[in-house]
Amino acid sequence: MKSFHSSVTDLRQPFAGTVETFGYECGWADEAIFFVTAERQTPADAEVDLRVQLSADGVRWLDEGSGLRLAGPGEEFVRVRHFGGFLRLVGVISGPDPRSVLTVRLALKG
Amino acid sequence: MSRTDGLPGWFRPLPRLLTADDFDTGMCGWLDLRPNFVGPDFAAHDQEIDLEHWGPVMLSSATYPFSGTHGSAAGTYSLRLCTRYPAAEPDRPPAPGSMSLAIKRLSLPEQAGLLRVEALIAYTTEQDRPGLGVDAMRAFGLMIDLQDDDHRFMPGVRFVNTAGGVPQRRWQFYSRTTDDDATWSYGREGWHQAGIDPQWFGVRSADGSTSATTWFDGLGQQPIYNETDDKINWMPFSLTVDLDRRAYHSFRFGHRRYRFPADVGPTLAPPYAGIDHLLNPVFFVETDADRRVSLYVDSVVISYAEADDLVGPMSARSEGGEE
Repeated sequence: MKSFHSSVTDLRQPFAGTVETFGYECGWADEAIFFVTAERQTPADAEVDLRVQLSADGVRWLDEGSGLRLAGPGEEFVRVRHFGGFLRLVGVISGPDPRSVLTVRLALKG
Repeated sequence: MSRTDGLPGWFRPLPRLLTADDFDTGMCGWLDLRPNFVGPDFAAHDQEIDLEHWGPVMLSSATYPFSGTHGSAAGTYSLRLCTRYPAAEPDRPPAPGSMSLAIKRLSLPEQAGLLRVEALIAYTTEQDRPGLGVDAMRAFGLMIDLQDDDHRFMPGVRFVNTAGGVPQRRWQFYSRTTDDDATWSYGREGWHQAGIDPQWFGVRSADGSTSATTWFDGLGQQPIYNETDDKINWMPFSLTVDLDRRAYHSFRFGHRRYRFPADVGPTLAPPYAGIDHLLNPVFFVETDADRRVSLYVDSVVISYAEADDLVGPMSARSEGGEE
């Protein structure tokens, strides 16, 4: 039987302008899904563009190539495979003085 | 069959093994300690301090930029608690995200008289800048949330490594507080009893003291921390609690055994509704700076002894050899 673990890596985490989620170690897993919920946005229709990043050491990060976009409150997901040992999301929030409160749930299986 | 069959030689469990968690097989029931989401829109109940943003716990291979993968004491994976940052000053309540806490939610065996939690522990500061980062680590430790028929109480030990940038390198244990409930809970009355959740409540001081901690007498202790932030060493940790007396029995870390003063114990609070005979061990780590710090825990073994186990020459009490 495979292992499964879901971590709420960022719970209602406030971001201003840019986003950098918690760098999470998960080398045991073969596959991952980031579920991202935009809880609150300023302005209300602010767009959040997020890129998946991976890392050799949990310190230095590189774009993985996939990502997701949220416009206003809502929820999206992105699937990731073959990612090595560490995962996180980075990105930007659009608009003047933009702010966003995000919840990130990372579902892992392997 | 010996009670230590199958366990690495580090461990000296009491006669009755409750759980033995090797993180090469998964999280083994350890998860993030989070508040109660019972408010409108699932808001957290606690508002006095931010309990929502502690760093999440992970299965770790202990991999670093220059040394590569350490693995665990026996195998590849350990349980990693990793903070966010920055820290608050040590005489202030913990800052949002400045801790990481891992909890396992169990219940007490019916006849348990002594309870022991053992683990192998290593720790390091994130190697995100050159130099030795040991003083970015404020503290780590273990707290055990317990409730019997009459009281809720939380014995535990905390290693204060650095407080406000000043090295401390000494252990303290959770002891009875004289705070009233409001002072304990940073001004809020009506929910938290004084002495409950000493890992983040209680009046704090600049040297890492709190209104519910007592320093062990004698010299401090320098745990192994190598000359770089990407080398770790596994060290044995063992805390034993006397459940009948609601007091401490013994504590051992590395090569040091600590003696508790007579008649000391944690604060005895009134019981809370719905959690009779709860047994929740909680490991925690705290940053002292603007950096992530990590506590690694491998192969947690929880064991206990009943009264009949504690008599005779081969008793758990004498075999433990810690008094």
